[in-house]
Amino acid sequence: MKRILYFLLAIACLGGAIGYYLWNKPHENMQTAKADMTIDATALFNEFNTDEAAANAKYLDKTIAVAGKVKETTKADDGTVKVSLDTGSDFGVLCELDPLSQHARTDFAAGETVTLKGICTGLNFDVQLTRCVETK
Amino acid sequence: MQKRLFILAALFLLAAPMFAQKYFTRDGKVKFFSDASMEKIEAVNKSATAVLDAATGKMEWKVLIKGFLFEKALMQEHFNENYLESSKYPNATFKGEITNLKEVNLGKDGSYTAKVKGRMNIHGVEKDVETTGTVKVSGGAIAIHSGFPVKCSDYNIRIEAAKVSNISNEIKVTVDATLNPMK
Repeated sequence: MKRILYFLLAIACLGGAIGYYLWNKPHENMQTAKADMTIDATALFNEFNTDEAAANAKYLDKTIAVAGKVKETTKADDGTVKVSLDTGSDFGVLCELDPLSQHARTDFAAGETVTLKGICTGLNFDVQLTRCVETK
Repeated sequence: MQKRLFILAALFLLAAPMFAQKYFTRDGKVKFFSDASMEKIEAVNKSATAVLDAATGKMEWKVLIKGFLFEKALMQEHFNENYLESSKYPNATFKGEITNLKEVNLGKDGSYTAKVKGRMNIHGVEKDVETTGTVKVSGGAIAIHSGFPVKCSDYNIRIEAAKVSNISNEIKVTVDATLNPMK
């Protein structure tokens, strides 16, 4: 009888520990996250503008590395940095740098070619990527 | 002749601001806050878009659901997968207009209270909504702030009985955006 009780107690403790771990599960580390695919900014933008539903199915929630030319970099008062990649259109691929990562740099000159890795969140004029980090 | 040209040029210069009647931002901030007895949950999206037509007062807002960042990864996961079903409904939108445009002079610096009416779409459900906000016009930019409650039950977002003390049915939403003339 006692043995069963101990056993149940052990199970309960284990359950509690797993629950606690899940509850505090950290956000994915974007520096080490593996990109599901690498794509050119213009190609990505065109795919979204040709067939948004198909592009959503393909890219939403995916960690993708996007290569392109910097159009502009903006820095908000709260420290948010966004890098816009040129696609030859009025809009482009808008990459919001990850607030949880350390960045080697947050200055990107217009015209410079960069590759940024982030999570694709969809089309909102621009194709938006969140939690971006620069990849070498 | 020269005088006439001068007058014509002056007229064009005066009319120029009339052409730039659309305002836009891609840096709108949408925050929400759930204040339930057991738990407080907060999330923010800093890449909302907003377009405002100064001539008619019509405006459109759009925010991508997957772009909301939470403190806890698990909450963000549940929010996307169980509640907002963001793979199926990737964005939330508002389309409406300022209804008291006579009292809100978008061409003149100042702070105004705007009444806004329109349709909100969240989780694939569309609802008529009405709220007020402050509009600050300064140096050609238009800063908008508003706060309003959103009821989960209105948008078919089901909170299981076991979670009612963790997630409030009434979510407090605030929006902040500074719109600039569209080029």
